[in-house]
Amino acid sequence: MIIETQNLVKTYRLGRYEVRALRGINFQANMGDFVAIMGASGSGKSTMMNIIGCLDTLSSGKYYLEGKDVSKIEGKQLAAIRNKKMGFVFQTFNLLPTISAEKNVELPMIYAGVSKRRRKMAALEALERVGIAERAHHKPNELSGGQKQRVAIARALVNKPPILLADEPTGNLDSASGDIIMEIFQSLNKEGVTVILVTHEREIALKTDRIVTFKDGLLINDEKIKALNS
Amino acid sequence: MNFIESFISALTSLFINKMRSLLTMLGIIIGIAAVIMITSIGQGFQASINNEFSRMGALGLQVSMKYDEELTAHDILTLADAELIRTHPNVADIAPYALINGKVRLKNPSETANIYYIGTNEAFSNVQGLDIKEGRFLLPADLDNTASVIVIDANLAKKLFGRTDVIGNTLSAAFSFGNLDLTIIGVYNALNLNSAMFQMPAIAYIPITTWQKISGSEYLENIFVNVADKSSIERTAMEISKLLSLSHATENKYNVENLLQQIDSINNVLGSITAFVSLVAAISLFVGGIGVMNIMLVTVTERTYEIGIRKSLGATNGNIRFQFLVEAIILTAIGGIIGIILGYYGGFALGSIIGITPVVSVPSVLLIVFISSALGIIFGVYPAGKAAKLDPIEALRHA
Repeated sequence: MIIETQNLVKTYRLGRYEVRALRGINFQANMGDFVAIMGASGSGKSTMMNIIGCLDTLSSGKYYLEGKDVSKIEGKQLAAIRNKKMGFVFQTFNLLPTISAEKNVELPMIYAGVSKRRRKMAALEALERVGIAERAHHKPNELSGGQKQRVAIARALVNKPPILLADEPTGNLDSASGDIIMEIFQSLNKEGVTVILVTHEREIALKTDRIVTFKDGLLINDEKIKALNS
Repeated sequence: MNFIESFISALTSLFINKMRSLLTMLGIIIGIAAVIMITSIGQGFQASINNEFSRMGALGLQVSMKYDEELTAHDILTLADAELIRTHPNVADIAPYALINGKVRLKNPSETANIYYIGTNEAFSNVQGLDIKEGRFLLPADLDNTASVIVIDANLAKKLFGRTDVIGNTLSAAFSFGNLDLTIIGVYNALNLNSAMFQMPAIAYIPITTWQKISGSEYLENIFVNVADKSSIERTAMEISKLLSLSHATENKYNVENLLQQIDSINNVLGSITAFVSLVAAISLFVGGIGVMNIMLVTVTERTYEIGIRKSLGATNGNIRFQFLVEAIILTAIGGIIGIILGYYGGFALGSIIGITPVVSVPSVLLIVFISSALGIIFGVYPAGKAAKLDPIEALRHA
């Protein structure tokens, strides 16, 4: 099991109020899984994603990543996990606007301490992988939404992380671009990458292997698509 | 993330905000340039004074009366006292010094110049280290003959005749009690203490005997003394003082000052003034540093989203802190370098206006470089720390 949470709880303080975003989640994912997390806004799905991605810390419960208890890790090691174990793809692409697509893809490798020459090669290779190598030297504002998201995916996979996390990756895209993105995820998943994506679109979720549904901070449904389809 | 990466990334982001970076640097530039200009002018002024003093030659003792004491006609210094001082075993040479002022008509007859006529002897040239350019200084024979001769400075010669080779020419000196024609026997190079801040009057030398004839007075203002053994100069000073008191049958009415000590005190005063004004300039440097901190805080706020992205990609707090710290250091370092260059040339520009050659000392420039980098660290640490502590999820919401 690559990801396992036990009774995971996340509470936020909003002034005088304590908001319980996650109220005891038990979730497992195996290596090579392709999971969609669905739910209405405020259901806790994004919080779940952030905790899995080690962008956020949990309040109580356990989170095991590759069998290691992540709830006890902090600071530098969390940054290292984000750098080497996770690839993030966001709805808003989150590319740095002032540098080229290729330089954006190089960023995770800079923090991993990869040499300049190898960075450039690996960045071009990753851009090639998502079919956008010819736009390598363009800045994000010279790219379409779908192209930006492909650059973001190239950046997410460039350190070859075992897990790819995508938060509404098709949310800002037209359906044709969204389809291209989903095809990339499917092919990466076939190569063995564990892909977890948050979406509120059922059509998108149906392109994965498994749909997990969140409601009011609880995991209320876990269904296997392949089983449903077959 | 290594240093070169941070450096390039910092330069890139500073370049994107060119105008802002430049304005932020301006505070540092002005501060550093002001400090360099002021210290170099101050040190230059000190150096020029020391240089002129050292040109005065071997500095010894200066004997004068204590004018704040009740003095009688019996107490005044005369040539007899000078001869008495000469008898002290540690005295190598003496030169009397008596001063009277008068006027002289210049080449352009409608203009006159004030001159101080100093009556002295042949030793004065050595005692005060005069730089004779044309002719000669006074000789013992001039004193013996009460000769109507004069040694003037080159500047005055130019004003009088338009040239300096004026030996044998006559100068008509006008005193309150009449006129006297004096033959020019020598021209010396005046000390270059003149500047925009103060003008030295022309000084001309005549035999003390001639001086006494003109003024009808035996009074000497000073007696300059060269000592043979400098190590016992303080003791010699005291003994001369006693000698004079004994011969005048009086007490504590004569000053015997060590001129070397006077230079030290002048240096001390100049040093303090330079230090004080530099401190004032350093305040502007401090204000510039606060400007850097201010702009770095703005930068961190503006780039919160970027910080979120970088953190999501695996940047540690240390990486982020370093990135912003390097930016602050580059701002102050570039500002510092420009400031040093401007201060250096500004010092020479200002120096040429006020007539002082500035002295830019390497240690003080190194100190400034150190200070400006330290400023980057001091004023960069807080904003960089603020950036480092940002919560990645919170930061990513600032898209």
